[in-house]
Amino acid sequence: MGVADFGGEAKRERRGGTRRRKKMRRLRYRLDMTPLVDIAFLLLTFFMLTTTLITPQVMEMTIPPERTQVEVRESELLTLRIRADGKVFYNLGNEAPQPIALKDLEPLAVRENVRLKNRLITVLKASPNVPYGVVITVLDVLNRAEVQIAEQLSREGLRRERRFAIAPMTEQDEQEIAQL
Amino acid sequence: MPKLKKHRVGFVLDMTPLVDITFLLLTFFMLTAKFKSEAESQQRFTIVRPQATADTSRLPDKDLAIVKIGIDTVTGDTSYYYEMTNEADWFQVIGGLETYRQASEGQRIRQVKANLEELNELIRRTRIVRPTTRFAIDADRRVRYKWVEDLMEVLRQNRATVFNFVTDRRPPEQPPM
Repeated sequence: MGVADFGGEAKRERRGGTRRRKKMRRLRYRLDMTPLVDIAFLLLTFFMLTTTLITPQVMEMTIPPERTQVEVRESELLTLRIRADGKVFYNLGNEAPQPIALKDLEPLAVRENVRLKNRLITVLKASPNVPYGVVITVLDVLNRAEVQIAEQLSREGLRRERRFAIAPMTEQDEQEIAQL
Repeated sequence: MPKLKKHRVGFVLDMTPLVDITFLLLTFFMLTAKFKSEAESQQRFTIVRPQATADTSRLPDKDLAIVKIGIDTVTGDTSYYYEMTNEADWFQVIGGLETYRQASEGQRIRQVKANLEELNELIRRTRIVRPTTRFAIDADRRVRYKWVEDLMEVLRQNRATVFNFVTDRRPPEQPPM
């Protein structure tokens, strides 16, 4: 105890004595930050919850300016048809249409395009009654196949030129896949 | 012996870093927040966009004409809606059309409901006002493909052969069906 007291005395001495201590003391300025922090958090929560950081992305499409008849070799034509219930059918040239699952479509597109080296023309025909989302899913699969096709063709020294068309579904098309 | 007084330990937390970070985040979110456009606040439907694999291409933000195919939340009807981001072009396109003149008096219309013929006229005028306008199709994934097919035909007739389908990013862990 005594030691501590003595030490205290010594400190005071150094500061210049007890009498002048009150004058020397600085006014401590204290700001209550609580309301500020409250409001800041409130606004932060509001903006965090209302912002959507993901902007919509786009899928670019190019369509031919006019409906023109183009003569193509049947062996180089891949027709994809989407039936009203969302099932996808494919056929090469004059073959009979066969059902295909979406996950098999990508390997098929890659295989056929690489086999025919850019000469393959893909035609997509969708039934007017199919939900639009299904069409986009199929287009998305074809777009993903495009990356692999370009890669494999560039290994053979070829530049990928995409030949792709969207055509309206005719009654004949509907009939061909109706029974499958 | 004097009683040993137990001193309460005053708990002082330095809030400064916390407040710093909070304000930093607040500023970030305030600056990145994008509010609904006038056109969007006038629409009475929400679009459930189709999902596609993550892509880097984004919707252009200027001189864009959007054709929306939406399902009205109240009546459940599907229809075409047309809007443009460029305000000056928009009023030029819409100004000459008798159908919308009466409706646009009093309030500023930023989005119009249109049928195929009206849409054809709107797109034709848009191409005249600014030929570089980009077109986007923002359709609900549940609408029949017929709606989109007809719209693409209208775009083709107006020589707008390059356009965008607006999609949402598919979550990476979710394979396509």
